[in-house]
Amino acid sequence: MNTSAPAGTLAAAPLGLSTLWEGQSATVDFTVTDADMRNFADISGDRNPLHVDDTFARSKGFDGAVVYGALLVAKISQLIGMKLPGRDSVWTNLSVEFRKPLFVNQPAQVEGVIANLSASTGMIELKLTVRTEGKLLAKGRAEILIVEP
Amino acid sequence: MMENKEIYERLTEIFHDVFDDDSIVVTPELKAADIDEWDSLTHIRLVVSIERSYKLKFSAAEVGRLKNVGEFVDLIQMKAAA
Repeated sequence: MNTSAPAGTLAAAPLGLSTLWEGQSATVDFTVTDADMRNFADISGDRNPLHVDDTFARSKGFDGAVVYGALLVAKISQLIGMKLPGRDSVWTNLSVEFRKPLFVNQPAQVEGVIANLSASTGMIELKLTVRTEGKLLAKGRAEILIVEP
Repeated sequence: MMENKEIYERLTEIFHDVFDDDSIVVTPELKAADIDEWDSLTHIRLVVSIERSYKLKFSAAEVGRLKNVGEFVDLIQMKAAA
């Protein structure tokens, strides 16, 4: 199942522990633009030419400027904070393994699947993958604590 | 049935990892008040680590009534035997 916030809103999904189950999944489709890259370079101060200079990146054997790995993490943040589990949650752990580069303006999708749900603690483990055209770019896992009133 | 010694050895590894303190001695009498860093979040980390290590799932009620490590060991043995 693909869990999503109501169309046309920016509301974070309020999924409590009782509405979550192992195997539940959600996705976020995204494309990183030149503007996103410039903004992240300003925020982070990371101006490694691999990320900001297309010609330099090509000289190193890539097909263009490589998207910052942190921007993939940013989309994982959107997935967790807005969709699965959404509003009533906080991350306690994240690990990501980058397998292949993503390039600017290349459409991609991040998917999260609940691999484990601890009813005794309210902690869920999300298995994460980032793909473009079905090809695995990154994989990882996150631990998220459900914080219900 | 799992041996107590085996459970305490594995719990010791888990406690050392969760609290990042290799000096912790895990005994049946050990309780949250005995370790400064044993707050609500590390308690959750501890329970999740134990669930994962033993491939067991506990309920909130089962965990909520535990008073010390000895009672947790009893719960692990009961669940593992079920």
